[in-house]
Amino acid sequence: MIDWLQQFFYRITSVFRREKLDHELDAEMAAHLELATEENLQRGLSADEARRQALICFGGTQQAIEQHREARGLPGLEILFQDLRYAMRALFKNPGFTIAVVVTLALGISVNATMFSMVSAFLLRRPVVNEPDRVAVIASINPARGFLPDTNPVSAPNYYAWREANDVFSDTSAADENRSVSLTAQGKPEALSSAAVSSNYFNVLGVTAHLGRTFSEGEDQPGWDHVVILSHELWERRFGSNSSVIGSTVRLNRENYVVIGVMPASFRLMGFTPQLWTPLTLTLVDRATAARKDRALYVFARLKPGVSIEQARLEISNLAHRSEQDFPETEKGWGAAVRTLPDFLVYSFGIRNGLAVMMTAVGFVLMMACANVAGLLLARATGRQKELGIRIALGAGRFRIIRQLLSEGLLNAVLGGAVALVLAWWGIDFIGTKMTFNDAISAVPLTLDRNVLLFTFGVSLFSAVLCSFAPALRASRTDINTILKAEGRGASAGRSHSRLRTILVTGEIALAMFLLIGTGLLIRGLYVVEHQNLGFQPEHLLTAAVTLDSARYKDAAQQASFVRDIRQRLQHIPGASIVAVTSDLPATGPDSVTVQIKGEPDLPANQAHSTHDVVVSVDYFSVAEIPVLRGRTFTEMDNATASPVVLVNQEFVHRHLRDREPLGKQIRMSVTGPAPKWCEIVGVVANVKNYSESPEEHPQVYEPFLQRPVPSFSIMIRTKADPNALASDLRSAIEQADADLPLLHVMSMPAVIDLQKGGDVLFSRMLGVFALLALIFAAIGIYGLIAYSVGQRTHEIGIRVALGAGSSQVMRMVLLEGLTMTAIGAALGLAFALALPKVFDAMFTGISFAEPGVYFIVPLAIIAVSMLATYIPARRAASVDPTIALRNS
Amino acid sequence: MSASKLDLLQGTLDLMVLQTLTTMGSLHGYGIARRIEQVSGDKVFLNQGTIYASLVRLQQRGWISSEWGVSSNNRKAKFYSITKRGRKQLSEDAVNWQRLASVMSRVLGMQEGGDQ
Repeated sequence: MIDWLQQFFYRITSVFRREKLDHELDAEMAAHLELATEENLQRGLSADEARRQALICFGGTQQAIEQHREARGLPGLEILFQDLRYAMRALFKNPGFTIAVVVTLALGISVNATMFSMVSAFLLRRPVVNEPDRVAVIASINPARGFLPDTNPVSAPNYYAWREANDVFSDTSAADENRSVSLTAQGKPEALSSAAVSSNYFNVLGVTAHLGRTFSEGEDQPGWDHVVILSHELWERRFGSNSSVIGSTVRLNRENYVVIGVMPASFRLMGFTPQLWTPLTLTLVDRATAARKDRALYVFARLKPGVSIEQARLEISNLAHRSEQDFPETEKGWGAAVRTLPDFLVYSFGIRNGLAVMMTAVGFVLMMACANVAGLLLARATGRQKELGIRIALGAGRFRIIRQLLSEGLLNAVLGGAVALVLAWWGIDFIGTKMTFNDAISAVPLTLDRNVLLFTFGVSLFSAVLCSFAPALRASRTDINTILKAEGRGASAGRSHSRLRTILVTGEIALAMFLLIGTGLLIRGLYVVEHQNLGFQPEHLLTAAVTLDSARYKDAAQQASFVRDIRQRLQHIPGASIVAVTSDLPATGPDSVTVQIKGEPDLPANQAHSTHDVVVSVDYFSVAEIPVLRGRTFTEMDNATASPVVLVNQEFVHRHLRDREPLGKQIRMSVTGPAPKWCEIVGVVANVKNYSESPEEHPQVYEPFLQRPVPSFSIMIRTKADPNALASDLRSAIEQADADLPLLHVMSMPAVIDLQKGGDVLFSRMLGVFALLALIFAAIGIYGLIAYSVGQRTHEIGIRVALGAGSSQVMRMVLLEGLTMTAIGAALGLAFALALPKVFDAMFTGISFAEPGVYFIVPLAIIAVSMLATYIPARRAASVDPTIALRNS
Repeated sequence: MSASKLDLLQGTLDLMVLQTLTTMGSLHGYGIARRIEQVSGDKVFLNQGTIYASLVRLQQRGWISSEWGVSSNNRKAKFYSITKRGRKQLSEDAVNWQRLASVMSRVLGMQEGGDQ
């Protein structure tokens, strides 16, 4: 091994000491010849004869030098250097060509690198916890199918039951990741998202604090639980990165908490963005059967050594099945899903499909860029046939020629890759500034990290091979006899090159067609959604979110009276007309529950009626301007002491009541809180889209706030003018009602909707850019090919014109060539694209992709573009002057 | 030209060089080439130039060392001598070579016997 290394070291150094070593060898050989000549002289030969004999005995000096070089150095490396040097010369000799190739490759590679930075950030970045693949996350599967129903949190009783009964986890913890607290420091309340976690949560994950410590055992017991751990970001922002914060007291929800630790900046679980952690305190009440409906916990558990995630999945689903049998009232239809931590984070983020579509699109763009470059190289290979012919005649082997052309491709790709990195750096920066539509997205930094660098390098190499292999193979088959004799004459010389290019360009058109139709369908589908009528009037609505803490607002009556109080205060703000509160703003995706209808048989769990459920105050429907179609809306009389009432939407009547008379019907929902009661339907309202990003209609039930108050809700104010102008009045009115109560997300309703759709808008814009790039590449490809073919056939065209062909005939001939290619490519692309709506339907639920118009417009656009690209060289062909054309060749 | 033939040839020449240097001590390239020709009774047809590839190879393996010196007739030349590792290698290779040679002669002898 050492010998081998030493030898390799010698060899590699001798590559770089070539001149000195050659010089030494020369001296040595000269000495050799002199010694031999002298000996021959002594043997009595004449001076000339002595020298001649010495040379004969020595053999070829040149061969000796070559053998010496081969023995001492690395012949492969030296040839590579030679090839690269040669390639470099070739590139600089023809800068226009080089720029065209490098720019094309750089564009193709850079869009890939940019998109890959998202893949790297969202899919490849592993959570910084100990052995993340050994951490399992348990979630519930909601029988009321909504968005990602298998990422629903788990109830506390199930957490306890599963923790005690399972045999697959060494340690099990729970976390309520979606709490919100108000932190008061320097007299200013601020609402923060927080998580309540069991005391062993950080141990299960295997992470330690950056400063201080994490929770210790017993701190999740009442009385000991007033301790808090800060996120690195919060520590920097609110506490100036001051390490003396450990041990100090902060006020959370009007109570004192001792800061015991600060987590490292690297501790981030993608979709979860708590800014502080408090202990999760579960009492006997939380373990009671009544708490089974309160599903708020994610279970984080470490697998026992040797236990696989599949085993854990089986075990937990058996346990969930047992819960279902023991408590059918609350658990019917609910299951449990087990995923590894990295898998769960990526899955629950729901970004995979979008990224898959994007990566496919940029992959296509790269293939088209490579096809164009291959086309350019093929065209040039024809021009270089003579040069290659001479090289072959001088003894260059086929492999050597391929290698030389591949080195050129490599050099092109490396240059392209370097430019692409610069472009990608800019692109990543640009997208990074646009990706701020929610906390979780903006918490994930997009960077040109090692993965992206490696990917870019790989893609560059791949495209080098992709775009120069075909031309290299072609060129190596060069038949020197015909080449050196042909003098570039005759129409047949470039025919096989042209055939290859024709295939490439046809393929490009097919790809462009496919990509454009796919993009068209997606953009059209998203456009329809974006411009849909949501069923309420978002203009002139100001909104804000409030979470009432349990310290001051202990029970339902206090929550209800607070709402009554602020509604009165807010109604007096100048410019405000009506005010309402709601558990979920319209079109922001409320929770789903299952519902029973009195007098109808119980349905099996998987067929249970599901409905969205929203709690709203009096005046909600007038504030949102949702039309009431039948019956009445809620009044102040629908309070805790009155009999329970609900409103339903049209879709509910249609789907669950099969369009029968709704008024007076009794329904019961599986909602949180005390045993659900039968509620009477007293009115029907028009449908409202439950997701601004989806056109689906969902059954919906509205409950009166006074009968079922909730601690977290949004305020809605209908304003007479610009809603944003009222923001400060809103803040001060709330401050008068409760100075310690923070307001969250004070923004106009259109802004709320924009924020929700931000992802889709960015997504469709980026796709649009890629599709446009594809179209441009296809146009360049077809233009390049036709222009080249016209150039090659100048002689032939000259003869045709000389024999009487009119310019329109020539033009028709050339246009037909382009049109044939376009037609074949377009037909191919179209055939594949027919399957796209089905694929998209499965990937993006709720968006309609039945858009026949796209299948009509896109092919037309492609034909138009390719005709234009063909027209320019066709006109040149038509204007060929036979006298010049014939004389020139 | 098959690769195995070339390898054998190379190996043979390397071995001859090592043996020559063992018996003759320090010697320049021309001296080594002449010595091999003489010992073989001019039966080896050697392009003397090929000796230099062999020398650089042996040197890189650390089996011989070299330094510039002056020849008996006052000419500047590079002198080679065998190293300790070279001697060890030579003894190993010589044994191998002899075993191979004896096996080869036996095999070839058997063939002739079979023909009769």
